[in-house]
Amino acid sequence: MDSHDLIARIKNRDINRRDLLRGMGAAGLAVAMSPAMPRLAGAAAADQATFFTWGGYDVPEFVPTYIAKHGEPPNFATFGGSEEALTKIRAGYVVDVSHPCNQGIPRWVATGLFQPLDTNQLSNWPDVMPALWNLEGNVIDGKPYMAPVDWGRTSITYRTDLVDLQGKDESWGILWDERYKGRLGMLASGGDAWWCAAIYAGVDFHQIATDENVKKVAALMRKQRPLIRTYTDDTTSLEQALASGELVAAMTWDASAVTLKGQGVPVKFANPKEGALTWVCGAMIHKDAPHPGKAHDIVDALLSTGAGKWLIGENGYGHSNTKSFDLFSDDELAALGLSRNPAEILDAGKFQVPQTQEFETAMNKEFENIKAGF
Amino acid sequence: MTAPPVKLHKSWNSRLRALFIRSEAVRGYTLLSPTLIVMAFAMCAPFAILVTMSFWTQHAFEIDTAFTLRNYQAAIDGPIYKALLIRSLWISGTCAIVTVLVSYPMAYYVAFHVHRRKLVWIILMTLPFWTSYLLRVFSWKVILGYNGAINSGLKSLGLIEQPLEFLLYSPTAVVITLAHAWAAFAILPIYVSLEKIDRSLLEAAADLGDGPVVSFLRVTLPLSLPGVIAASLLIFIPTVGDYITPTLVGGPDGIMIANMIQVQFGRVNDWPMGAALAVCMMVVVALISLIYIWVTRKMTERIA
Repeated sequence: MDSHDLIARIKNRDINRRDLLRGMGAAGLAVAMSPAMPRLAGAAAADQATFFTWGGYDVPEFVPTYIAKHGEPPNFATFGGSEEALTKIRAGYVVDVSHPCNQGIPRWVATGLFQPLDTNQLSNWPDVMPALWNLEGNVIDGKPYMAPVDWGRTSITYRTDLVDLQGKDESWGILWDERYKGRLGMLASGGDAWWCAAIYAGVDFHQIATDENVKKVAALMRKQRPLIRTYTDDTTSLEQALASGELVAAMTWDASAVTLKGQGVPVKFANPKEGALTWVCGAMIHKDAPHPGKAHDIVDALLSTGAGKWLIGENGYGHSNTKSFDLFSDDELAALGLSRNPAEILDAGKFQVPQTQEFETAMNKEFENIKAGF
Repeated sequence: MTAPPVKLHKSWNSRLRALFIRSEAVRGYTLLSPTLIVMAFAMCAPFAILVTMSFWTQHAFEIDTAFTLRNYQAAIDGPIYKALLIRSLWISGTCAIVTVLVSYPMAYYVAFHVHRRKLVWIILMTLPFWTSYLLRVFSWKVILGYNGAINSGLKSLGLIEQPLEFLLYSPTAVVITLAHAWAAFAILPIYVSLEKIDRSLLEAAADLGDGPVVSFLRVTLPLSLPGVIAASLLIFIPTVGDYITPTLVGGPDGIMIANMIQVQFGRVNDWPMGAALAVCMMVVVALISLIYIWVTRKMTERIA
């Protein structure tokens, strides 16, 4: 008895008790089974490797060759800041691949929780710019730990129609401007915010951990706090607030400005006279990665020109693969504020310098206090 | 035909059975055992770990397990923790009051004025709770936002020129969101206590000349107090520890003690301090709840 038949017979009241019971029993069984079905269908996904990455990078476009090879994307897990990610991994969260940045490399490697890359398994490795993986603390015994993937800047995205520069150069001062009290936004992770404040304070990154400089930066951030509408790790919130005019300026990465421009919002990604914060992030493989082969496939996918196309074209970030830039003309790159030569961008800004764990903990603690109003 | 042999030694099995039948306590604990086991593993054990950890110290990524009260000292000395705790208590207290005030009329209406299909009404009231908590918080973000429903509405009515900025990213936003998120937990206990009220008492009050307002204040309200007390505690206790709502709608001035606890386990990476703060929060909430229960019991005794 198919279901249409059953419904028709119920309507016509032409049904006996036994048929009705049988129909309802079948329906009940179907309902009881339904939670099990997605699990059966989802069983394949559990066999994929896990990529623990920044919020916003958890998209299939970032891992094109992995999908081509394995039929579906890896499992994504996201974090709002790399310090949070490291704490979770230290606490026993095992992922295949994670996504630290240059500033954290020595500390990430020192945890002993990551394995060096087997570059023979990475088909795109020969195209990776050596300057990007030859970073402080990354190469031990000739083996790199982090495969560089994306590079870019942390700066200010501001509304050109709402922020009046008064003829002056763009400056980090926009985020300290009393005129825009309550209409400024900040990234909540100290890994960005503290360093940008240090740039504005004129602190040399190699001296960022001295007591004097910590006090100097903290004082500057305390001064800024009453002006800030929201501190958030969620770049989408900042983008929406900038689009609506709730915020006139916010600390963001390159991608927010590109996204907003794409929506026709009059914004600019500032090139502050004090220098933007520049960074290189990449992929590291957990030493106990449950899928070491697939983990390398993720890393290889991140290095592929397909991932580069998404990073550059959709987000305005740089990519580590030289060939990715061949997909864009010089004019397109200039419009995105990018260059084929990463040194041009990275050296023009202030490149993050690795710090000790003590500094990270103390800095994050202080920044949390400041955000809470103390 | 011979008599069956008398067993001199009862087997263990039958002795246990006898104990089971004779002792009400054993039967009770056996029936409770699934819950007890879950409680022991899912609540008592983690709580013991939390308390133990709060006496340790974190150095970078290593944890020093020597006993120390330093975390508690820091929790008591640090003005930030006190301020955040007081703010959390204030927000949750306000939220409990607001929720009870809003939920009472709804519960009252269903208990006294709905005579058919009460269950449907109750289900309809809990309908918003069928979606995820996170979605509800996000929808409040949309409603309270700068270009949100309220601001656009007021603007199109010409009542305001500029959007009201205090709606979102403020303690007010946290109170509004929590009050909505927890409404079902207030409606149901209040409804149950109202439903239990013997209607003849109301008739008697009317017969003796009480108007509707006086009979509500002298009969209905006092008799429904147990529901109101239960509802306010049910809302107050869990909301003190909420951290999703303040993260999403609180803004810098709306963050609560649980946010501070969360960052200790996250980027600040000081688990023992986070544990100590969590224990402090639990102790304070427990004390306040005990005082509240004691005061309200005295009050209801006086009314009775």
